[in-house]
Amino acid sequence: MSDPALLSLAEARSVPPRELLQACRARIERWQPKINAFLALHEEVGPGVPLAHKDMFYRAGRVSSCGSKIRREWVARETSAALERLDAAGFADLGRLNMSEFAYGPTGHNEHFGDCRNPWNPDYITGGSSSGSGAAVAARLVFGALGSDTGGSVRLPAAACGITGLKTTWGRISLRGAMPLSPSLDTIGPLARSAEDCAILMQALAGDDRWEEKRELRIAVSSAWIERNAEPEVAAAVLAAAKTLDPNPVEVEPPDFDTLSAHCLVVMQAEAAAQHAQWMRERPGDYSSAVRARLEAGFAIPAASYLEVLRLRRAALERFCAQTLGGADAYLLPGIAVRLPTREETGPKGGERMPRMLADLTRLTRWVNYLGVPALVVPCGFDARGLPLSLQLVGRPFSEALLLAAGRAYQRATDWHRRVPA
Amino acid sequence: MTKQWSAEAVETLLAAQGIALAPGRAERLARVYQGLLEASAADPLLARLEFDAVPAAFVVAMQKCR
Repeated sequence: MSDPALLSLAEARSVPPRELLQACRARIERWQPKINAFLALHEEVGPGVPLAHKDMFYRAGRVSSCGSKIRREWVARETSAALERLDAAGFADLGRLNMSEFAYGPTGHNEHFGDCRNPWNPDYITGGSSSGSGAAVAARLVFGALGSDTGGSVRLPAAACGITGLKTTWGRISLRGAMPLSPSLDTIGPLARSAEDCAILMQALAGDDRWEEKRELRIAVSSAWIERNAEPEVAAAVLAAAKTLDPNPVEVEPPDFDTLSAHCLVVMQAEAAAQHAQWMRERPGDYSSAVRARLEAGFAIPAASYLEVLRLRRAALERFCAQTLGGADAYLLPGIAVRLPTREETGPKGGERMPRMLADLTRLTRWVNYLGVPALVVPCGFDARGLPLSLQLVGRPFSEALLLAAGRAYQRATDWHRRVPA
Repeated sequence: MTKQWSAEAVETLLAAQGIALAPGRAERLARVYQGLLEASAADPLLARLEFDAVPAAFVVAMQKCR
């Protein structure tokens, strides 16, 4: 292959780091004006396979803007645990990636630094909030990236940009030195070109977990719900993927996505409001209107409602594991069930339909954060507009290795993950 | 019928916390709270929630469910 930047992460490890760095920088030069994935490039880059990360993972002595005006020049005093682990594993860090302001938005819009744009078609959203991570990996500017996922922020960009993203079990990867949004829901996860590449990053981030494990998978799916609720193109691709993974998937009743999502929102809004209370009092005008509106929503959540929803979390998790998963290893559903919207449709001038579009976008991701379980998003086709389609596999707590094994099995049988935007 | 949130109530509650709302926001927030809290309260699991259940039990459940 002529361009080493197009190799898999596993293959790249045998290429001289200098060649990889040159190749990635050449692609960044070509793609950055089109997709705005990077907020800043580091001048000094160590040896190793090049990665870059959402600009909310602190590195001592460097700016970490969190995609915001408020922290545009803020210099971190500590390095995040996740970056320390990737450094120790010998990965290089190329720069800071674009993100939704304070990781509080599902589309990838950013009025302070400019929107991140989808490499498959810049008119469309990248998904957020790890927008730069999704776009940079999809365009092969880096071999992998860290994202955070509080309501879908790893999985939505992975789904919209046609790459693989892992939302980890709550508590699996240390949040130290990563910007908090909603501590009861926040998780960190890798975005990469394949499940195999995600497994390599997870080994560095979370240690040995028999990532090479191989086994026969039992998949649970709610086919009728998917056919009724997802776009026909999405439903066809996802149900075909289910058959590829398990010729006889178990049909189950779907979880109550909307109620679990409502619980998730109660927690997220209350915690995000508490996190931002001081700035919301002192400098509300420094937030974008969309993020300010989302934060305002948390200040009148009754404390009793918030705590009741947290008390209910155990029962909801047990019900999902016993009734939805049952004897299966993973529950399969779309990453995004609807047509990917344009940036204009979901931007500041989005109009009356915008709230509904945003709710549809996160409908199948938020409930997973409430349960705290891991989920893997993998590309499974393209729609008629040439935009990626994705499946999502949701597992039991701490079953990341199993989900990645499932993703790898699917990617050995298909080639969607190998397609690169032109 | 459930008591409806009002724009005035929302505005007062936020003002007490030092949060100033843009014009028209209180009405929208009142509708959002109403929908969100009603949806959350509609979970049938709530009716069976034991008195002794505490938020920290979730961490134990994660280990048990793995």
